Amino acid sequence: MPEHVKEWLSAYSDGELRGNRLRQVENHLGKCPECLAELEQLQSLSNLLHEAIPTGDFMMTERFVAKLTLNLPRRSEAPHLHKALEIGWWLIPFVLLGAWTFLQVTFALSWLTQNVWDAGLLGSAFPWLQFNPPQAEWFSTLINLFGSQPGFIDQTLLQVLNNANLVIEDWLGSILWQALLAVIYFGWAASWWLKQTNQLSQPENIQTFAQ
Amino acid sequence: MHLETCPTDTETALVIRAQQGDRNAFGELVRHHHTGVVGVVYRMCGDVSLAEDAAQEAFIRAWKHLPDFRPGSSLRNWLYRIAVNTALDTLRREPKSPPTGLDSLNIAEPQAGPEERYLQKERALIVQQALLSLAITSRAILILREYSGLSYQEIATVLDIPLGTVMSRLNYARERLKELLVTKISNQEAEIA
Repeated sequence: MPEHVKEWLSAYSDGELRGNRLRQVENHLGKCPECLAELEQLQSLSNLLHEAIPTGDFMMTERFVAKLTLNLPRRSEAPHLHKALEIGWWLIPFVLLGAWTFLQVTFALSWLTQNVWDAGLLGSAFPWLQFNPPQAEWFSTLINLFGSQPGFIDQTLLQVLNNANLVIEDWLGSILWQALLAVIYFGWAASWWLKQTNQLSQPENIQTFAQ
Repeated sequence: MHLETCPTDTETALVIRAQQGDRNAFGELVRHHHTGVVGVVYRMCGDVSLAEDAAQEAFIRAWKHLPDFRPGSSLRNWLYRIAVNTALDTLRREPKSPPTGLDSLNIAEPQAGPEERYLQKERALIVQQALLSLAITSRAILILREYSGLSYQEIATVLDIPLGTVMSRLNYARERLKELLVTKISNQEAEIA
C-alpha cells in the first residue's frame, strides 16, 4: 500500500488539488479505506460547521447602511488632488525618458557642431558658435604658473593629459547622470510592482498572520 | 442586490464614483458586501454587538482608504482583509470569552419545534466555542474557506501569507475541530439517548 494521503485530503475535499497530486489522491482513495474514512469525517465536519452555526441577529442591511452613512468621515484629501497625484505618478517614467532623450540629443548635436566647426566646414560663418579650447582646471593653473610657452615635449604631454582628463570627466559625467536617471526609473518600476502586489495591503494596520 | 449578482463592471463603476467621494455609490457597495463582511467579523468575534461595531469600523476604514484601491481588482477580498484586521483589533481591545448561554444564539431553522430548536442551539454553541478556541490565524483561514468560500489562493492574498501556510493551518484547524467536536457532539447525543 502506498503512503497515506491524509495531509492532502483537506485540499482534495475543497477541490484545490490539480494534476498529478489529484490523480495520486484519487487513486489512493480507491484502495485505502482508512483515508476514505478520514475524507468522510472531513466532509461531515464541513457539514456540521454549516448546519450548526449561529447566524446572529443583525440589524437589517438598510439600517446598517443608513447608520454607516451618518458616521462616514470626510476624506482628508480632495479627490481631484488625489487624481492629480495619480496622473503625476504615471507621468514619472515618461518624464524620465523624455529627459534622457533630450540630453542625449543635445549632447550629440553639441559634439557634431563642435567637430564641424573644428574641421573648418563652416568657415567664418556663425562666429558665435566658436568654442574655446577646453581646459582642465589643473591645466589652466599650470599654464598660469609656468607661462604659456613650455618646451615642445612638455606642451604635448600636458595637452595629452589635459585631453585625457577632459574625456574622463565627460565620460564620468555622462555615466553618472544616466545612472541617476536609471536609478529613478527602476525605483519607480520597483515601487509600481510593489503597489501591484500589495494592492490588498493598502489599508492601514495590516496584521501579520505568517507567524 | 446580492454580491454574486453584482456585475463586475457595475461594481467598478460604483467604486470609481465612491473614490470620487460619492457616498451613495459607497452605500450601494456596502449593500452588496454587508452580509459577507458581517459574517466574517461575527465568526471571528463570536458576538453580535461586537461584530456590528467591527463591521461599521471596517467599512469606515474601507471608505478612508478607497482612493488607494485599484478598480477592477477584487473588492470583496480587499474588504475581507479589512474585516479580518478590524475583527482582530476589536478582539484585542475587548477580549471576548466564548459564549456560554443559549439565549443569545440565533439559528437558521426557526420552523423547528422547541426541543429540536434547543438541541440545535446547544450544538451551535458547541461549534461556536470550538471555533473561538482556535488560534486566530487558523480561525481566520477556516472562516474564509468554510463560510466565505474563498479559494486557498484568495485566502493567501487576503491574509498575505504563503499558500503552503494556508494549507497547513487549515489542516491543523480541521484536525483540532474534529478533536473538539467529536467528543462534545457524541456526549450531547449520549445525553439525548
